[in-house]
Amino acid sequence: MSLHATTILFRRRLHMSRLGQILLMIGLWLAGEALVRATHLPLPGGVLGLGLLLVLLFTRRLSVHSARRGAQFFLGELLLFFVPAVLAVLDHPELFGWLGLKVAAVILLGTMMVMAVTALVVEFCCRLSMREGNAGHVRHRMA
Amino acid sequence: MSGTGWPEGAFETAALTVFWSAATIGLYWAAKRLNQRLRRWWSSPLLLAPILLIALVLGLHVSYRDYMAGTHWLLALMGPATVAFAVPIFEQRAMIRRFWAVLAMGVVAGSGTSMLTAYGLASLLGLGGDLRLSLLPRSVSTPFAMVVSGDIGGVPDLTAVFVVCTGVFGAAFGEALLLWLPLRSSLARGALFGMGAHGAGVAKAHQLGAEEGTIAGLVMVMVGLVNVLAAPMLAMVLR
Repeated sequence: MSLHATTILFRRRLHMSRLGQILLMIGLWLAGEALVRATHLPLPGGVLGLGLLLVLLFTRRLSVHSARRGAQFFLGELLLFFVPAVLAVLDHPELFGWLGLKVAAVILLGTMMVMAVTALVVEFCCRLSMREGNAGHVRHRMA
Repeated sequence: MSGTGWPEGAFETAALTVFWSAATIGLYWAAKRLNQRLRRWWSSPLLLAPILLIALVLGLHVSYRDYMAGTHWLLALMGPATVAFAVPIFEQRAMIRRFWAVLAMGVVAGSGTSMLTAYGLASLLGLGGDLRLSLLPRSVSTPFAMVVSGDIGGVPDLTAVFVVCTGVFGAAFGEALLLWLPLRSSLARGALFGMGAHGAGVAKAHQLGAEEGTIAGLVMVMVGLVNVLAAPMLAMVLR
């Protein structure tokens, strides 16, 4: 009975607290890392943590309200976590110059092609399934 | 320092961590605020903040290692950020159930194009070896890309840089591409940004609309999973 009461109290707290939800995400990530280490799966620990959180949400052990604000924090500041990664260029002085320009050209041209191919394939598949009439509610508007 | 109880060098490490973390977060925050006003491609916090930080690191004659030691914890937060993607996936489960096949087609086509163009264009420009291999997983978001890069014999930290460049270019020029391509569905517009420009693209897609943003985020996670699972096979082909 008292255990039940503590669980309810804990859930209500989690519901309210963004910090608690942030810690929950970190905890699930660490659990994922530990799992990767134990099982030697070729996945990042964060992906297993993502899987764990999905299981919790789908089995209704955790309400989505108890994770939403924490998720918004991480997704809203996503770019911050990439910033230190960019400074790795300092470790590769060979990239300042011709070589770097060539690499930039590869990335720019390649990325444009990737985006065009992906968008056209999805658009084509959408129109196909539209013709079959089972995607009629997709919002269509001119770009 | 003797007699204070601090282990040798601990004070310096702590000071370094506080200083470089504060500099990184501060410049990121300033760039983000600026970008909210200007909304130009060059004012992206992913471009502006690193450039200012590089200037600071070079100006203070600090080594990259020192910078990295102080900010490594920020990079590590990509782990819980990956976990956070479970929430939009769960909230959009109805849309996923309906469109997973269409999106999977886009992810497979996009990943194939990404690998082929990186390999082909790099060969064309005379780039080879581990530089070319490091370019292959650039369309995959960072935590996944670094795993793939290591698997296929690339240099993970170089790949991380290329991933960010991809995000900046993709978010910058994706909108121009939207004007050229005859796209009518929000699915295709979202997939374009999620596949081509991952994190930065998702942020951009959210500006177009909630549906585009959600699709972009979903596609980004799918790309990561597909590529990480395909990497061991790819490694066998490339080695």
